Amino acid sequence: MHKWVSGILVLLMCLTVFSTILPAQEKISLRVAWWGSQDRHNRTLKAIELFEKKYPNIKIYPEYTAWNDYWTKLNTQAAGKNLPDVIQHDYAYLSEWATRGLVLPLDEYISKGVIDLSSVAENQISPGKIGGKVYGINLGTNSLGMLYDPELFKKAGIPFPKVGWTWNDFREIATRLKNKLGIYGAEAITKADAQVFKVWLMSHGYWLYSEDGKSIGYKDDKLFVDWFNLLLDLQSKGAIPSIETDIARGTLGVEDMFIVTQKSAMGLLWSNQIVAVSKAAKERPLRFALMPRAPIPNAKPANYLKASQFFSVTSQSKHPKEAAMFIDFFTNSLEANKVLLAERGVPISSKIQKSLLPFLGSSQREMFNFVSLAEKNSLPIPPPDPPGATDVVNNVWNPIVEQILYGRITPDKAAVEFRDKVTKILQQR
Amino acid sequence: MNKRERYNNVMGYLFISPWLIGFFIFTLFPIIASFILAFTRYDVLSPPRWIGIDNWFRLLEDTRYHNSLKATFYYVFTAVPLRLIFALLVAMLLKPSTRLAGLYRGIYYLPSLIGGSVAVAVVWRQVFGSEGLINFILGMMGIKGLNWLGNPSTAIWTLIILAVWQFGSPMLIFLAGLKQIPDSLYEAASIDGAKGWDQFIKITLPMLSPVILFNLIMQIINGFMVFTQAYIITSGGPLDTTLFYSLYLYQKAFQSFEMGYASAMAWVLLMIIAFFTALAFKSSRFWVYYESEEGK
Repeated sequence: MHKWVSGILVLLMCLTVFSTILPAQEKISLRVAWWGSQDRHNRTLKAIELFEKKYPNIKIYPEYTAWNDYWTKLNTQAAGKNLPDVIQHDYAYLSEWATRGLVLPLDEYISKGVIDLSSVAENQISPGKIGGKVYGINLGTNSLGMLYDPELFKKAGIPFPKVGWTWNDFREIATRLKNKLGIYGAEAITKADAQVFKVWLMSHGYWLYSEDGKSIGYKDDKLFVDWFNLLLDLQSKGAIPSIETDIARGTLGVEDMFIVTQKSAMGLLWSNQIVAVSKAAKERPLRFALMPRAPIPNAKPANYLKASQFFSVTSQSKHPKEAAMFIDFFTNSLEANKVLLAERGVPISSKIQKSLLPFLGSSQREMFNFVSLAEKNSLPIPPPDPPGATDVVNNVWNPIVEQILYGRITPDKAAVEFRDKVTKILQQR
Repeated sequence: MNKRERYNNVMGYLFISPWLIGFFIFTLFPIIASFILAFTRYDVLSPPRWIGIDNWFRLLEDTRYHNSLKATFYYVFTAVPLRLIFALLVAMLLKPSTRLAGLYRGIYYLPSLIGGSVAVAVVWRQVFGSEGLINFILGMMGIKGLNWLGNPSTAIWTLIILAVWQFGSPMLIFLAGLKQIPDSLYEAASIDGAKGWDQFIKITLPMLSPVILFNLIMQIINGFMVFTQAYIITSGGPLDTTLFYSLYLYQKAFQSFEMGYASAMAWVLLMIIAFFTALAFKSSRFWVYYESEEGK
């Protein structure tokens, strides 16, 4: 009996000793989190395999979800002090996370060359800067664009959108497409996140929020009213899907988008989404046009270049250096980028951009061309949304858009209500 | 003797300790925490900040909150009675013990087994979609279908129909209750010349009333907590007509990260449910018949 007990004790002791010795071999594990589609998951997992092959002493534990669950999960992990080492970050939240000290400044690793940014232009680095320090490395450059189906345009005998086209041109084209082909002219114009309204304001020379983030950034409510009168007009002509149709469709997979099923000739998308949409459309050629400008003389461009997403290292990471190495691998490894294939947007390293060209499919090439066209016709990136912006979009913007498009409230009344409610939210923060 | 009793007590608590620990950690602690959080502003990332009763005042002027109350009450006051009526109806049909009764009972219970699941909600979206099954059938009959999910006056009805369709568990309870009613009562009534409807009003309903009360209370509680269906099928739209209480609470807590506000909402919901449960109990003395004693 006693023998048994001591035997087990010895065994246990051996195990403890071994388990303390083993990590001395420096097997490092990193947790990496991102959001995205299944396509992105597959590509990223492959890139991670390549990384592990290159650094056999580092093991990566991926944590991936869709956008909706991602922030719920991350916020909970942050509260539980259990954040992954590397997290994919968004422009909307990066400054908040940086000011709360949840993500690390990466300047130390950049200057030491752990993250090599020698072939990256300054304007690709600056979106990740907060208070002069780099908190996130841009994973790809994006711009909002009007994707169109050239075949449908030809069928209707309508010339393609040109650089500098305005929302009035858009209205005319969309209506003609509807009348000639009996399909929608464009979809996703009423996008639920106020993004289109923001670039509408931008082209007028304004922005949704003021510089200090405490009030609305435009003075004249006519801008609001004009925008919604345009939408109401398009809706009544059937040139865009009605609000009823859009609500009944809910949030869609790319396969169900009208531009994919040829029920719409145009659709608003972020440039990197062309890859997924083209894939769903069986690689039917689709092309990007710049965002329409404001229908006023001397309108400004309506495009800006956005960092599609960042990689950041969290302050809870025990291996920030290795985490930085992982980010460097994503940024500078041709092998990794051949697998990732610009699914997160145009890579920021000019070297990678060039060497990637021969490997691009037609949809990726269209994205590269569009982003460089947008670069020539763009305004500087607007400041990140103020705290409270999510509240504004969810609880003021979306409900009001619905009420206007269902005809429950006039744009004039809505403009006043919108201003009141938004101002209140912004000043509470 | 005393020692032995104490020993027994300790052993008893030890045996139920898995449940006790679960209760303290996963039920009691969160309840207390949510009560305290209801008086704070807490966004998960930074520590909670005490703001007194601000959250409760904000409830008064939050129009989306009022929309959610409206939607929830509408749902509870239509879906619950309809489901109970339907459950009773089917239970009456299934009461006779024929050879296949067991099979039928099983089949009719099926929707409730799968009804709360995400999969059924997804199917429901397809059925009521603008190119879904319902519109397809209507189209074959030459009727132009509606945009069920996009129309503010029909969207909530797709959810109510889904709820009514899941009548299984109240049905089983009704069935058990019906079986308890002695046949002799019906026989006596037939001899006195009472027909089917009279028998139903005068015998079945009063004899069944304790079971109805039980079902009513359970369904009210369930009804107020409805979440999954609206989350997946309509996500609260159109125009907040299906923005059920729990759904808005979830959005506030896990999309806007206003944990304090959401906690305050949770406590109001508790009070609402408690009120209606109490109302059902109080009213029961006027309509629930217990055989054993007069009135009680």
